[in-house]
Amino acid sequence: MPDSSSRAPGASRAPLRLDAVSRLADRWQGVLLTLVVGISTLWLSATGQLVLYIHPRYVVFTVIMIAIGMVLSLGVLVLAPSSRDAGAEDDGHGHDGHDGHALDGHGHEHEHEHEHAAELRAPAERPRRRRRGRAAARTAAVAAGTLVTTAVAVSLVVLPPATLTSATAGQRDVNSSTASLAGTSVEDAASADADAYAAFSVLDWAGLLRQTSDLSFFEGKTADVVGFVVPAGDDPDVFYVSRFVVTCCAVDAQPVGVPVHLVDWRSQVSADEWLDVSGGFQTNPSRTSSDPIALVPDELEKVGQPSDPYLY
Amino acid sequence: MSAPLRERDALRRAAHEHAPARRSRRGPLLAVGIGIAVVLLLLRLASPALGPQLLPDTLQDFVTLTISVIVESVPFVLLGIVLSIIVQVWLPQAFFTSWLPRQPLLRRAVISFLGMFLPVCECGNVPLARGLVLKGFTVSESMTFLLAAPILNPITIITTHQAFGWSDGILVARLAGGFLIANLIGWLYSRHPDPESLLTRSFAAECALPQEHGHSGASKLRESVELFRREMSTMMPALFIGAAVAGGIQTAVPRSVLVTLGSNPVWSVLAMMVLAFVISLCSNVDAFFVLPFASTFMPGGIAAFLVFGPIIDVKMLALLRTTYRPRTLAQLTLVVALTSAAIGLVVNYFA
Repeated sequence: MPDSSSRAPGASRAPLRLDAVSRLADRWQGVLLTLVVGISTLWLSATGQLVLYIHPRYVVFTVIMIAIGMVLSLGVLVLAPSSRDAGAEDDGHGHDGHDGHALDGHGHEHEHEHEHAAELRAPAERPRRRRRGRAAARTAAVAAGTLVTTAVAVSLVVLPPATLTSATAGQRDVNSSTASLAGTSVEDAASADADAYAAFSVLDWAGLLRQTSDLSFFEGKTADVVGFVVPAGDDPDVFYVSRFVVTCCAVDAQPVGVPVHLVDWRSQVSADEWLDVSGGFQTNPSRTSSDPIALVPDELEKVGQPSDPYLY
Repeated sequence: MSAPLRERDALRRAAHEHAPARRSRRGPLLAVGIGIAVVLLLLRLASPALGPQLLPDTLQDFVTLTISVIVESVPFVLLGIVLSIIVQVWLPQAFFTSWLPRQPLLRRAVISFLGMFLPVCECGNVPLARGLVLKGFTVSESMTFLLAAPILNPITIITTHQAFGWSDGILVARLAGGFLIANLIGWLYSRHPDPESLLTRSFAAECALPQEHGHSGASKLRESVELFRREMSTMMPALFIGAAVAGGIQTAVPRSVLVTLGSNPVWSVLAMMVLAFVISLCSNVDAFFVLPFASTFMPGGIAAFLVFGPIIDVKMLALLRTTYRPRTLAQLTLVVALTSAAIGLVVNYFA
């Protein structure tokens, strides 16, 4: 590297030690991060929590590929050439060290040609400063990248797994994605019996509410749904009992929810709490809410987060 | 990042100076690795003691989304690397090059369909394209493969067909658009006077090395794990950073801003492209994601999402950065964005 040749003689000690660390990191970060992702993913799937991050249909594929990755990582540790051989190995896929030297010279030239041609021709004060500036910028970028990578790796291993919260539900607007609400049609629902209604999820009811605002359709029907609390932005007495609908992974989760009208609900429940709500539908008493019909709860029970918090 | 160059430089120095000390480190490598794995597992097992609600909601969602992108992508990256190892180490030298037509335009057109046999999505595609360059593809041919394969591959075609059928010409626009863009980019870069300058220094140096063949089985195995180590060291940090940026943007930018733009023929296209850029989904699954938007957005927006997303997004740029220089990526993004937008507008106004 050009930087090492231009370095002042006195300053070579400490950076050399840093070099050693970054060399070690460059060499082993792939294996280390594979172990981090592998251990976390296998633990998540063993404890049934992998579905917090991806759709169940990808679980088997993910576990198989992760297992292959773990085997290959161990293979690296068993079969990897010692560091001494590696110098040559990295150069020429098994050439001897001498060959590596010559090739490395080539790499050097290439670099000068493209990035430092100006500096070589005119070794004046200004380009040198610019080079130093560029080197500093590169160091900063590498440091930031290392920091982010480390932080993500630590969260993968240490932080308890969690579902998405009401913050994301609010940010993505409950019921804004209409097609995921088209699953249960009004015609199908009209012929269903009471037992079927009892089994309807947040998604089913939210879909029906989206399709019709005809209150007579909802009369005499009782909903019993489980979801978490997302405050409605347009009325302090309304909240949504919500679930995320996932098509691939948590990244694409769309919140759906049934509006619940309950005066001063914040004195009883708080955002993100999981509830089992049952009750009938009425014209929404709220003047400001955009939902014409709301669930008015007969019963409201706090429950734990279900093991399968997302709907599909 | 010039990791392999720096590494090689340093290792050569080390080989000269500390040869005996380094040699002795070889034996316990496996023990160290297993030790680290056990520590990681113990940490993971102990972590539930930290209890729920450790972080504020927004920060927690940022972490959840970032991890979700990683867990979704890592299997595909691993699949791509395994295929890349097979192509580079286990298949004969001329397996992919000997039967291809020699005429450049025709050659790239055929390369566009290689994805039919190597069905990886875009994140697995980066290591595979790197392998193909090392195997004798030109830079422009690697780009054609890189851009076409995530769209013109059986899994993507099946999932897109499951999601949309033949309605509104979305599937046709996606396939034709992917083919068109891949060949356009390949043609543009085939005219570049110095294609090697498009690559990062470390990768160009790797390409300059001769490939040795006729190894015995044991040394092929060694070469395979060495390649795995090198590719994972390049890809994993890029993926982690890309995932964190994608997670961060999704936590910060309200999605409702995009959704309100859906019914305008021009804005629907641009909004869906921004969404594709931010959300960074794999091409194998993105059709299911975008399906719910089909009722709010015009079909051209959906088509633009399905063409642009597999080629350029936040995570993908981080992965591509391992191989191509920033200037190349900026040009690539511009050309692909303009072409995708054009395809979306054509679908909206004429289809």
